[in-house]
Amino acid sequence: MSGLTSTLTTARAPIALAVLGSIGLLLALSGVAFGSSWIPLDQVASVILGAGEKTQKLIVLQLRLPRVAIAALAGGGMAVAGFLLQKITRNALASPGVLGVIDGAALGVVVFLAVLSNESNTLVTSIGYQPLAAMAGAVLGIGLVFLLSGRQSASAVRLLLFGIAIAAVFKALVMVMMLIGPIYRTSQAARWIAGAVNEINWSEIQITLLMLLPLLALAVLAARKMPPADLDEVSARSIGLDLPIFRVLIFALAAGLTAVSVAFVGGVGFIGLMAPHLARLVVGRNIHAGLFASFLLGAIMLIGADLIVRVLFSPVEVPAGTVTAVIGAPYFLFLLMSRQRHDG
Amino acid sequence: MTDSPAIAVDGLTLAYGNTSVLDTLSLAIPRGKITVLAGPNGCGKSTLLRAIRRLHKPSAGRILLETTDIAKLGERMLARQIGLLAQSPSAPEDMTVEELVRLGRYPHQSMLQPWSPDDTRALETAMAGTGVTHLRERHLGSLSGGQLQRVWIAMVLAQETEVVCLDEPVNHLDMSHQLDCLDLVRQLNSQFGRTIVLVLHDLNLAARYADQLVFLRDGVVAASGPPEELMVEDLIARVFDVDAMVITDPAYGRPLCIPLRTR
Repeated sequence: MSGLTSTLTTARAPIALAVLGSIGLLLALSGVAFGSSWIPLDQVASVILGAGEKTQKLIVLQLRLPRVAIAALAGGGMAVAGFLLQKITRNALASPGVLGVIDGAALGVVVFLAVLSNESNTLVTSIGYQPLAAMAGAVLGIGLVFLLSGRQSASAVRLLLFGIAIAAVFKALVMVMMLIGPIYRTSQAARWIAGAVNEINWSEIQITLLMLLPLLALAVLAARKMPPADLDEVSARSIGLDLPIFRVLIFALAAGLTAVSVAFVGGVGFIGLMAPHLARLVVGRNIHAGLFASFLLGAIMLIGADLIVRVLFSPVEVPAGTVTAVIGAPYFLFLLMSRQRHDG
Repeated sequence: MTDSPAIAVDGLTLAYGNTSVLDTLSLAIPRGKITVLAGPNGCGKSTLLRAIRRLHKPSAGRILLETTDIAKLGERMLARQIGLLAQSPSAPEDMTVEELVRLGRYPHQSMLQPWSPDDTRALETAMAGTGVTHLRERHLGSLSGGQLQRVWIAMVLAQETEVVCLDEPVNHLDMSHQLDCLDLVRQLNSQFGRTIVLVLHDLNLAARYADQLVFLRDGVVAASGPPEELMVEDLIARVFDVDAMVITDPAYGRPLCIPLRTR
């Protein structure tokens, strides 16, 4: 690395990442401290480190820490998925939400709950398979988007349009399943669709972590090959990136990350759109820095959203997804409009 | 020219869906020379150029690089031997000149081969050779069209490929930048010894810069050879449907075509 700009960007990224990491940590601790009863931060820390009295242990370790942990994992995972999609489509509007991935996952979960519940309201199989159902639905969603866009799949705009269309179709199917399907666990399905991080237990976090880690590792590896994706199709291919194949791999990876992230918490919207975009503003164009910053920002957003709903609406459990949607939808519109100005 | 050709196109047939674009086309690209592909719109010249870089899959025939069928080469291996500058390349506006030129070294790197002194040398040579070193920190969005084209050529140069293909590189440039760009391409040929394959629309520019000129029409080679042999009135009439007068330009002694009317 030589030259002023590159030294600056290389110095800027680690500092930005450290700052984001600290904010995330602070927010996570606050997320544990806040609730129906306030637990001071130092006591939160001591409980996490193994000390503390019994009630506090129960509240911290069984009730609050799990929701913070899953919020961090799910928010981060979705943000990384969005980062990959925005990179590979060269489009800041791409995200798991507008590419049919989240609605595909929702359909997977609803079908899973419908088909595998018996009449006494219990699942006939382990809830541990729910992420797989979400994954299958997500892959189906993104697969259909690719299949239908066919030869036009190289065009980001066409992909977005097909993604939005597929998402709409899946939303309708989910509605139909919820209304007429033999679901005895409609409330669970409804909770999933809104996207909430309460009622999460450690085994669900374990499953999420086990599936998320290899996918994140793959994302870091794939990022090494990614620089040419900044260029147009012909240029990227002529410097040696097999873009048609690489693009399919990245889409599959993003679909997997999204599916695992949303499997338990549900369709939290817009984090996959906002976090990577902000990450780029914060750390610049470096791919690995962008990847890590996206993860941290995604985690921060979902922990923060959950904190907001708990502070504002307590004692009612409002899904965290409502906050991300309320903030994210205008953000999406803003991006759309600023792009229009730019294109025009 | 007893040398074997750098690239031999052998019976190449290529179609988009049901539309045949190239029809059993054969052509030799001489090593270390500038070959210019020219012809009317839709003759298949850009398609041929892309096929040479394996961006289109032929339905029949093959393309030999030295003696190797390019269909058998790995992606990175091919990218180290044939470079291509796209017709309208695009990169993010906030990318710096140096970042873009560095991308030319992409096929030379892998998990096991991180950035090396060799890459630095190629990067610096490419930027110096195209005169963009002083722009290295600039964002692409802040460059003029002529500067931008030089930077893209620098990227292809940094790739250090034996063969360099350029698809209508002067399309959107004004007269001075057209000459500037093509002089640079000639310099890649003379100074760096690259084999150049160019698609050009302007017949007079083609005649001025080509060692070998190739006229394509309807997916086949209508004629190929030195510009002096191809720039003749009846051939131009047959390939381009234009009645033209060909004179020798008084400045450089190259053939100059003056179009009179369409046929």
